[in-house]
Amino acid sequence: MASIKRSLESDPFAANIASKVYVRSTKSGKVQKIVREVYLRQDIPCSSKLCRACLKTAPKDAAGRPIPFVLSDRPAGTSQFPQGHYLVPDTNAFLNAMDLFEQSSAFYDVVVLQIVLEELRNRSLPLYNRLVGLTKSEDKRFYVFFNEFRLETYIARDDGETVNDRNDRAVRKATKWYGEHLARSQPKGQAPAVVMLSNDRDNLRKAKLDGIPAFSLVEYVKQLKDGESLLDMIPESEDGELSKDKRLGEPIYPEYFTVSKMMTGVKAGLLHQGIFSVSPYNYLEGSIRVPAFPKALVILGRENINRAVDGDVVVVEVLPKDQWKEPSTQVIEEDNITKNENPDAEAGDDFVAGKERKALQEEVKRTHSKTTEGHAQPTAKVVGVIKRNWRQYVGHIDQSSVSQSAQQGRKQESVFVIPMDKKIPKIRLRTRQVGELVGKRILVTIDSWDRGSRHPTGHFVRSLGELETKAAETEALLLEYDVQYRPFPKTVLDCLPKEGHDWKVPESTDDPGWRDREDLRNLLICSIDPIGCQDIDDALHARPLPNGNIEVGVHIADVSHFVKPSNAMDAEASIRATTVYLVDKRIDMLPMLLGTDLCSLKPYVERYAFSVIWEMNPNADIVNARFTKSVIKSREAFSYEQAQLRVNDASQQDELTRSIRTLLALSKKLKHKRMDAGALSLSSPEVKVQMESETSDPIDVKIKELLDTMSLVEEFMLLANTSVAAKIYDAFPQTAILRRHAAPPKTNFDELSNQLRVKKGVELSVESSRALADSLDACVDPKEPFFNTLIRIMATRCMMSAEYFCSGTQSYPEFRHYGLASEIYTHFTSPIRRYADLVAHRQLAAAIEYEIVDPSVRSRGRLEAVCKNINVRHRNAQLAGRASIAYYVGQALRGKATEEDGFVMKIFSNGFVVLVPRFGIEGLIRLRDLADPEPVATYDAETYTLTTTGSREITVELFQKVRVKVTDQKDETTGKRGVKMELVRA
Amino acid sequence: MPLDTSAYSLALLRVDGRRWNELRRIHAQIRTQAAADGSSYLEMGHTKVMCVVNGPSEPGPRRGGVGGTSAAGSGGGGGQSKDAEVAVSVVVAGFSSVDRKRRGKNDKRILELQSTISSALGASLHTHLFPHSTISISLHVLSLDGSLLAALINAATLACVDAGIPMTDYVAACTAGSTSTYAANDESADPLLDLNHQEEQELPGLTVATLGDSDRVAVLVCESRVQVGRLEGMLAVGVDGCKQVRGIIDRVVRDKGRRMLQEGTVEKGVGLEDMDLD
Ligand SMILES: [Zn+2]
Repeated sequence: MASIKRSLESDPFAANIASKVYVRSTKSGKVQKIVREVYLRQDIPCSSKLCRACLKTAPKDAAGRPIPFVLSDRPAGTSQFPQGHYLVPDTNAFLNAMDLFEQSSAFYDVVVLQIVLEELRNRSLPLYNRLVGLTKSEDKRFYVFFNEFRLETYIARDDGETVNDRNDRAVRKATKWYGEHLARSQPKGQAPAVVMLSNDRDNLRKAKLDGIPAFSLVEYVKQLKDGESLLDMIPESEDGELSKDKRLGEPIYPEYFTVSKMMTGVKAGLLHQGIFSVSPYNYLEGSIRVPAFPKALVILGRENINRAVDGDVVVVEVLPKDQWKEPSTQVIEEDNITKNENPDAEAGDDFVAGKERKALQEEVKRTHSKTTEGHAQPTAKVVGVIKRNWRQYVGHIDQSSVSQSAQQGRKQESVFVIPMDKKIPKIRLRTRQVGELVGKRILVTIDSWDRGSRHPTGHFVRSLGELETKAAETEALLLEYDVQYRPFPKTVLDCLPKEGHDWKVPESTDDPGWRDREDLRNLLICSIDPIGCQDIDDALHARPLPNGNIEVGVHIADVSHFVKPSNAMDAEASIRATTVYLVDKRIDMLPMLLGTDLCSLKPYVERYAFSVIWEMNPNADIVNARFTKSVIKSREAFSYEQAQLRVNDASQQDELTRSIRTLLALSKKLKHKRMDAGALSLSSPEVKVQMESETSDPIDVKIKELLDTMSLVEEFMLLANTSVAAKIYDAFPQTAILRRHAAPPKTNFDELSNQLRVKKGVELSVESSRALADSLDACVDPKEPFFNTLIRIMATRCMMSAEYFCSGTQSYPEFRHYGLASEIYTHFTSPIRRYADLVAHRQLAAAIEYEIVDPSVRSRGRLEAVCKNINVRHRNAQLAGRASIAYYVGQALRGKATEEDGFVMKIFSNGFVVLVPRFGIEGLIRLRDLADPEPVATYDAETYTLTTTGSREITVELFQKVRVKVTDQKDETTGKRGVKMELVRA
Repeated sequence: MPLDTSAYSLALLRVDGRRWNELRRIHAQIRTQAAADGSSYLEMGHTKVMCVVNGPSEPGPRRGGVGGTSAAGSGGGGGQSKDAEVAVSVVVAGFSSVDRKRRGKNDKRILELQSTISSALGASLHTHLFPHSTISISLHVLSLDGSLLAALINAATLACVDAGIPMTDYVAACTAGSTSTYAANDESADPLLDLNHQEEQELPGLTVATLGDSDRVAVLVCESRVQVGRLEGMLAVGVDGCKQVRGIIDRVVRDKGRRMLQEGTVEKGVGLEDMDLD
């Protein structure tokens, strides 16, 4: 009987095989042990252009191409290593200071060890992706060295050694090997030094014992020329690491639960996991939606919020019933309460600052004075954070936190940065350049938030420029909403047609471009868009058919002809996902050449299009629908206003005008049908900023006018989208890209319907979209025409947001678009500015067998990822657009003061929110804005009425029309210029 | 956890440190179970399988043994026909993979493995020499780390050699894959040889087996989606891998033969004259 046990020892080749054992825990809480083989080898090059030895064994790919060597043969020197040096950072160095490595002034020739890359990937995927990005950049010269696979640098974990200690040792071993390896091939003293960077004191000490050059980030940066300016980018926690014992740090926040305790709790249903969000009106109040409960749990106060930041995935525990409370009816702004806190002295403070405590007491008093106990809502406290959603934040330095001496000196100072996003807490920052940074828009990150520190600690990334300058504010806005605004890289531009602007539809119909395209050049097609629209996605036509029916065509720019799947341009567009429209700027999804020229359905020239053509009877019922790639020639590009004028002018009897009238008549019938089916007409105030044409300074604000021709275009676009959705779903039941709008949970309307009942005696029924549409129609105040719009605006905020999804991820009934009352819907009509539409185009082209289906639009996993990204980008684009309007409205009002009508749309015990329809803006009026000294107020939550006595006597109730004075004001908290409202009369 | 397969392009190294054209360590033994007619043990990396062959045996009392209980595929026709039946049973031990999922005997994947192995071996074994009889191949999977079908075929080949069943040539198998996913649609993707479990999960792959030293393909199984353009490269690498595997199992057989001669287990000249023993 032969032994089959010891196969490894008996094998001479086995010396080079190591086993790696990993322990991982699965979602269900099981622990799995994974054993992996590792093949150790000696042909992994050091990749230094100085090395001859590695050149001989350099690996080649299957086509026989070797990978070029990365590290420079003349690396930069430092004060300590004039002969030049390569860097080997450990994981913490990247975790703490990725921004440093992305600098263009230093940090070249960096060896990224495999073990470091692995650890980084486990700790932070975004940072991992940034590092991989660096390794791909040619000029930064970052080389990934697979130390775990090279025989000389592989180490096994010793008995009793922790994983971290083992990995630190691996970093030292690899650094040492690199140094010796390079020294062997170079004349003595001329080989570049190989320098380890670490923030771990123990690791540094051991490296020095071993004779390995090793520095902390601070020590290293100080050796660089102009290192001073980089010092600020080294995060606070780094200092903490090296001077841990110096910190007093009496913990002021409760400790987080261990991961396993949280997992067990969540599994048992005792703890709940969800995304933490902060109330926009009260920074000490958060809420969290968890699957277990229909309504959000409320999280009140700093201690319960326990260092969670808006967007973090956290685990919460429900508090005992006697601690349940009503959500605050107070406006609490961080700035007013923690104004004069000193960023340096905080350890000694007690947990809740005095003023904060006072605010809480009032809160409790108010809750207790209530007779109706049923109003108290379940509250919860955060017991741990699963995943941080920290990103880079735009903000400015709080002037009041800066000491006088700091303005001049180069001494490191602690200051507070106030983020533009009010939901993000102040960030403590240590910097040596306070003087330069005060009054600037700056970009910062959060590094850590430990139990001993009231505010999170972060570090400076870069300055965007002076506050309130157009350039700085626009960039701030783009960064804040994560809009990709850099110019398109060369790889993307290389995908454009070689002919550039001279590209034309080929004259000969035998050209491959004409394959399977219908020639629709003879049709009277026109486009109708906003004034000055350059990226024309859509055009229309209508003509009578002999049988009395009407042929209607919607023609969409054939973007998928120019943007091929999976090339660099497609990849870039899929990341950008949407074009972002700001007041004075457009950030394109596709390069200009395509968006505003080759794809754009400009008038008088031939263009490729993707057409949807229906036969309709005069009642606007679809007799049949077909889809085809085509060539069209638009006769005219109208603005909405021009088209409207033409339709209204009875003397215009040309064929084109008549066809627009036909379309208009049909669109009214389509709209009617939609409304009958229960489509909602919702509202958000849309305003337009008028610019001075030369200086592009804003001069006035106007509400957008609604014209019939806008509704015309909208109806046919909706129809085209619906038709295409049905077609691609039919062809690809698992992978069609669709758009759904979920019915809002009834509880979303609780507050609004109670308000309407109490204040207006109107019942809001929300059983179906139809019922809601009808009851919204009934919400009218004969004396106040705007009241209906106000209710629609408020109802819109109770809705869910629509989302893109891949058809296989939902069951058919869930496809429904609630707002449009459509069973199935997608986006097809704007491929120039939305990526979802481009995917739909590719799927439709495959569905009509125009081209074979590309794997990227059939892979469900990939489509899900695409949908996830475009949902986020889409939302950000909307927010960025709104923020841009808000900024320009503020600029337009600068130095002016006007009196306007407004409506109270939200009411607190210490203030109220007024909407001014004229500007489409909302403003908060606080009690202390009413008079000095602040009047005394009583708030009746049952009737939504606020009554003040003392210095000023007024009564304000919900939905009330008020007169306000609107002026501009620089908000000291966010540094944004915005509007300030003063109550003229209630 | 270590990096995933997308890291390949960074340094042309796979998740376990191999190059694109390298096999994992293959270790094999034959005659591991003295009681059986033929037996073998084979490791391809961490995929470990054991094989026991009984037969060819006449129908009768013994037929109720391994062959009868297995849901077998048949390569050369049934027991009634002129050719011997190749009955294959595969048992995957519960502890063989990380998730420790039990696979039933009638698991579709197992049935398919059995039928594929049966027809692959049937093509090389001289089943026509043993009419109305059954060759029972019983395979046990002790550890799973990718390329299972290939390992099973190789183990079965070895055990059949050990059982002394006449065959045309070795049936040697291995897997091939590609360095980027189907959806990535990357035309410059490199082909890969001998996939481990992680690679099998993340990348497209196929299993190929060839007959002896020739380029004749005996098995080709591709269950993942991959662009046709990449298939040729993958197949070429796979066929090349099969030749390497054949070399390895051939050495195992010869080594064992030499040792048996030295130890005197087999008398010199008993059916081994044609073996080139050095
Ligand atoms: Zn070298």
